[in-house]
Amino acid sequence: MSPGCRQSELGPIAEAQAAANVRASLSEGAEAGTGSSAAGSTGTGWATLKGRFVFDGTPPQMQPYNVNKDLATCTINGKAPLQQTLLVDSATGGLANVAIYIRKASRVHVSLESPPSRESLFDQKECIFLSHVYPLTLGQTMQIKNSDNVGHNTNIEGKNSFNQTIPAGELIDFTPQKEEAVPVSVRCSIHPWMLAYFLPRKNGYYAISKPDGSFEIANVPAGEELEMQVWHESAVGPGHALVLDTPDAKKLKWSKKGRFKIKLGEDEVKDMEITVPAAALGG
Amino acid sequence: MIFRLKYLRLFCCLAVVVAAGCDTVEPSFRLNMVEAVSNDTGDAYQQEIQNVLGGMFGSPDAPYVLPETGLDQARLQVAAGPAWSDQAGTNHGLYRRHCVHCHGINGDGRGPTARFLNPYPRDYRPGIYKFKSTYNASKPTDEDLHRVLINGVPGTGMPSFSLLPGSEVESLVEYVKYLSIRGQMETALIRYVYDDLDEEEALDEKGNPILDPNGEPVMLRVPLDPENEPDQREAILEILGEIVDGWNAANEGIIVPAEDQIPSDSRTPEEIAASVVRGRELFYGVKANCVKCHGPTGLGDGQQDDQDYWNKVNKVFLESLTQKTSPAVEAVKQEVAATLYPVRNAIPRDLRLGIYRGGRRRIDIFWKIYAGIAGTPMPGLGPASAGATGTLTEAEMWDIVEYVLSLPYEPPSQPQKALPENLNPISSAG
Repeated sequence: MSPGCRQSELGPIAEAQAAANVRASLSEGAEAGTGSSAAGSTGTGWATLKGRFVFDGTPPQMQPYNVNKDLATCTINGKAPLQQTLLVDSATGGLANVAIYIRKASRVHVSLESPPSRESLFDQKECIFLSHVYPLTLGQTMQIKNSDNVGHNTNIEGKNSFNQTIPAGELIDFTPQKEEAVPVSVRCSIHPWMLAYFLPRKNGYYAISKPDGSFEIANVPAGEELEMQVWHESAVGPGHALVLDTPDAKKLKWSKKGRFKIKLGEDEVKDMEITVPAAALGG
Repeated sequence: MIFRLKYLRLFCCLAVVVAAGCDTVEPSFRLNMVEAVSNDTGDAYQQEIQNVLGGMFGSPDAPYVLPETGLDQARLQVAAGPAWSDQAGTNHGLYRRHCVHCHGINGDGRGPTARFLNPYPRDYRPGIYKFKSTYNASKPTDEDLHRVLINGVPGTGMPSFSLLPGSEVESLVEYVKYLSIRGQMETALIRYVYDDLDEEEALDEKGNPILDPNGEPVMLRVPLDPENEPDQREAILEILGEIVDGWNAANEGIIVPAEDQIPSDSRTPEEIAASVVRGRELFYGVKANCVKCHGPTGLGDGQQDDQDYWNKVNKVFLESLTQKTSPAVEAVKQEVAATLYPVRNAIPRDLRLGIYRGGRRRIDIFWKIYAGIAGTPMPGLGPASAGATGTLTEAEMWDIVEYVLSLPYEPPSQPQKALPENLNPISSAG
C-alpha cells in the first residue's frame, strides 16, 4: 500500500482461504463439540489452600489522591488520603489486595454452593471505597452504601455495567449477574480519584490478601489439579496478572498469565509463602 | 523508436496505477491493537483471530453474517463495499458514501476526519451507545439508532441523514450493528484466546514431556483453530450467542415511564413553575447531585476530570506505558500508542445552550436522567434494570427534566446564585 493513503495500520489482515475454512466449519454448527473443556472432577474430598504474599523490595511511598471536590468531606484534617495501589505491611512485609482464585472448579463444596449471605456491603467513606478489591459470589446482592454526607455515583465497568447515583447516607441494591475473569474497575465520576476493583465469581473459591498478606481458601477440591489465577492492580502482567519468576514460582510452573497449578491431598492444609519481587509490580 | 514508445506507454500506465493508489486497494478490517497488545496476543494468534473474524464477518467489500446474528445480509450488502449507483439509480456502498470518513472502515471512529472532530466520532466496536431509550447496560434498539441517523447529534459533527430514503437508513442501521457485533466479537475472541488457550507441554509418542537441553519441558502453542477443534468452535458460537442475545434483548430493556407520572400537556403555568422549583431543589441537592458535574450555574463547569469509556480505554493503555516491561513489549506498545488520538476528558453538558445531543423531547431527557448515559460518567437516577432500586421517583425525575428544559431560558442578566452545598452533614454514627 502506498504510504500516506491511510493512517498507520498495524496488525495482520484475514487470509481468504483460512477465513473461508472457518466459515464453512462454523456454518455447520457446533454439534461435533464434546462439551465444556472444563476439567472433569477426578478427586474426592476437600482441602485448604492458604498462605501469605510477601513483598520483596522497598515499598513505594503512596501518593495522596488528587482530591479536588468536596474538600470538607474528602480530606482528613485538610490532607488528602493516600492511594492504595500497592500496600505493604511495614512489620511483616505482607502484600495486601492480591486476588487469588480458582479459575474453573470441577466441583464445589456444599458450603460454597450458595453465597455465604444474600447481601454484601460495598461502602464508601471520606470519598474512598472501603473495600479496595471487592469480591462477590454471584447470587449475592451488592449493597452499595454511601456513608458520606456528599453524593456519590458508583460506576462499575465490565460485563455487569452499572452507573447509578448513590445519595448521601443512602444504600442502593445491585445484583450482578456475570462472572469476570479478572477484577474490573469501580469508580465515582463525581470524585474521579475514587477507585476500587470488583471481582464477581460463580463460587466462593477466591480470597483477597489481608493487610498482612495472608489469604485462605477453604474446602477446595482435593485430589485434582487446581488452576489458580493471581492478580494485583499494580502487577505488570497482561490484565494486571501477577507474574512471578522466583525459584519458588518456577517450581509451581507459574505462567506468564499469573496462573499456577496445584494438587492437594484430602484434608491437606497447604500453607505457602509467596514472595513477590518489586519488579513484578513495576518497581 | 516504436519499441521505446511502447515502454513509455507501459510506464505511463504504471504511473497512473501507482498514483491512483488509495482507491485501488481493497480495504480490510484491522485488528483492535489496543485490545490485542493489552491481552498479550502474539503475532500468530493475531493472524488466527483475523482469520476467524474473516470467516464470521467477511470483509468491508463482502460482508457476511452467520444466521445466528439475525442480521440481514441483503441490507449489509447495500451498505458495504465501494460507493456507486447502478442504472436504476440504486445507491450501493452507503457506509463508504456517508459514514466512513469519520467512523472509519472498522467502525472504530478513526476515519480520516476523526482526528479533527470534537467529540471524536463514535467507535462502534465496544457496542456501547449513548443516545437510547434503554437501561444503561442495555443495547440500543433499532429505533434508537434510526433516530440518531435521522436527527443527527446536535452540537457534534454528526449530521442528519433524514434526506436518505428510509431503506437506505435501515441498511445503515444494520451495518452499524454489524460493525458493533463484529467489534464485540473481536474483543471477546482476543480475551478468549488469552483466557482459554494456553501453552501445552509437548509430549513424545509415549506421552512423556519432551525436555529441552536445560531439562525444561518444551512448550507448544495451542492454536486458535475452530476448523479442527470442535470445543473451540462451540466456545466461539457460544460467545457470539451471548453478544447477539444482548442486542436481541434491547427491546426488553426499553424504559417505559409510568403513565400516571408523565407530566400532563394541560398543566397550568403555575404547575409547570412549581415543577421547575422542585427540579431545581433536586438538581442542587445531595440526592440527585447534578450540580457536582454540571456546575452551580449549569454551565458544565463542575467535575471535568473524568473520561468516557472510549477515552478511558486509551488513557489506561497509555498509562500502562509507564510500567517497566520487556523491551519487546515496550516497543509494540509504543507503536500502538503512537496511533492513538489525544485523550479528552468528558466535559459535562452545558445545560444553558439548549442543545441536547440525544434529542430535545422531554422523553429523551427523561431517559438520560433515568438511565444515565452509557459509556460516560453520567450516572442514572432510576433503577438500573427492571425491578431494581432507583435513586429518585419518576415524578422527581420529571421535575428535573422540567428544570433542565427551563435553564436555557433563565435571563442571563439574572444568573442563578448557587445554593450552599452540604449544610447539613448526616450523622456519621453507625
